[in-house]
Amino acid sequence: MRAAFLSVCGLVLAFLLLPVLIVLCFAVNPDPFLAFPPSGVSTRWFVKFVTSRDFMAAFGLSLTLGVATVLIAGTMGTLASLALLRSSLPGRRALTGLFLSPIVLPTILTGFALFQLAMVSGVGRNPWILLAGHVVVATPYVMRTVLAVLANFDRSLEEAARGLGATPAQAFREVTLPLIRPGVIAGCLFAFIVSFDQFPVSLFLVSPGNETLPIAMFNYLRFDFDGTIAAASTVSILLAVALVLGIERTIGLQEYAKL
Amino acid sequence: MAGVVLSGVTKVFPGGTRAVDAIDLSIGEGEFFSLLGPSGCGKTTTLRMVAGFEAPDAGTILVGGQDMTSLPPERRGMGMVFQNYALFPHRTVAENVAFGLKMRSVPREDQAKRVRNALAMVRLQGLEERRPSQLSGGQQQRVALARAIVIDPTVLLCDEPLGALDKKLRQAMQFELKALHRRLGLTLVYVTHDQEEALTMSDRIAVMRAGRIAQLGAPREIYDRPTSRFVADFIGDTNILEGTASGHMLHLDGWASPLPQALPPGPCAIALRPERVRLGAPGAGLVDATVEEANFLGDAVLLKLLLPGGTAILARAPRETDAALLAPGAAASLAWRAEDPVPLEAA
Repeated sequence: MRAAFLSVCGLVLAFLLLPVLIVLCFAVNPDPFLAFPPSGVSTRWFVKFVTSRDFMAAFGLSLTLGVATVLIAGTMGTLASLALLRSSLPGRRALTGLFLSPIVLPTILTGFALFQLAMVSGVGRNPWILLAGHVVVATPYVMRTVLAVLANFDRSLEEAARGLGATPAQAFREVTLPLIRPGVIAGCLFAFIVSFDQFPVSLFLVSPGNETLPIAMFNYLRFDFDGTIAAASTVSILLAVALVLGIERTIGLQEYAKL
Repeated sequence: MAGVVLSGVTKVFPGGTRAVDAIDLSIGEGEFFSLLGPSGCGKTTTLRMVAGFEAPDAGTILVGGQDMTSLPPERRGMGMVFQNYALFPHRTVAENVAFGLKMRSVPREDQAKRVRNALAMVRLQGLEERRPSQLSGGQQQRVALARAIVIDPTVLLCDEPLGALDKKLRQAMQFELKALHRRLGLTLVYVTHDQEEALTMSDRIAVMRAGRIAQLGAPREIYDRPTSRFVADFIGDTNILEGTASGHMLHLDGWASPLPQALPPGPCAIALRPERVRLGAPGAGLVDATVEEANFLGDAVLLKLLLPGGTAILARAPRETDAALLAPGAAASLAWRAEDPVPLEAA
């Protein structure tokens, strides 16, 4: 029974990780084409990726966008969740659905709609409208996790704080925020990954010379098909892993998740 | 000077339910005052209005002569102990207790000293660095109490604070809470649905029903002289006998009970505590009844007897009572003194 369980787990894990392994294989394979088994181990594609001005500019833009998205979507998503759960706002249900809709809608639709909006309103495509697009699709991820922790939040903790002399703002800072932090952090993590990985929305909104990494990779793939793409993907994967590990080490996802 | 005076306090919930309906109360300084009633009677809502967590729709709340009605909770200077303790899970015991002092910008050295004193007061030392989740229910209760008293509150409000504890611990905490109240001389407003708890601890009790005060008085008064069927029924075990009054007698099915005072003739109900009913040999009392059930309670036996006409009556007999009278199916006579029955207002 136990052996069967472990083997099923192993299979699922292999299914999930195999593509990543293949990417890794190609990234270190010195051949200029995708081949298996690799003929050796080299860092040439990594060097090419890191020294490519286009790729580095795109990587920089993606990182900046990701951080900006986290800041804006994290703040907006948290505040919106608080407003939706705590206030007596009319039409709260409908508003919640509206805010969360980008998760359900095909992202390509959201991207196309934003593209049309940018064109019709005369704003045009620029990094700011790109950031706005990323915020629109990332905010629901923040809201989902924050709404979840808020739904389980014991309001009497805030009342206890108020009764002990805390103003509403102090009660929020001293009690509410520290306790919903795991949800906010998890949501921000999602927001970063959604932005960093974003393809459909970016596709419509990037302006020439201002490409994000996924778009730059896509454009590169159309003409070349070598290990640079695999190296870029590997760097992205490592970045995501480092992010999760970093948060786990410094703030401790698990310890907070237990509260 | 921190008596609490409620006048005409009303709370209407959305949907029109009058959770609290024009309550007038005057709680003396240093008094241990209980709000007692079944769930939904408005006792917790009343307490929450005193604390400032709910705004009354009408009426005023004075504490120490000062109008608190529209002050936010943080400016009322009260201590509150919540039913679920509401300890901050991300803070240690010491930090929990110090919270109110920190909000009052008390200097750090003072904070540490007062936290130590408060924890000593509730007999909880040596656990300062623990988190609430590492404490037992009784210990969490003590932290909640320490956190509430450390700020020298004008009034201490308790919302069923012992409800989650087991019976033994609850009893121990009852004694401690009462001792603490005496030592600190605090005005204490205590909400509970447990009549025994209210009877043991309070100076005065307000029994609430459907947003109103059904009866207000000292525990003995409430227990011995309930004015309504509701109060008689809610506080302790009670027999309610219905008959026709004429003068000093209440006529029932072929027998009569004496009454403490003459009542106007007509239908009438009396309340009679089971411990007032004395058992005797058949034919020696007011009426003969048949024992249907006898429950051994340890210190006494609780009997369920059937009166002529089939009405059931409870009697609490000392365990030394003649065993022949306690067996199911046995016949026994019942008697009580004229001052034992309590005539009830028509409800």
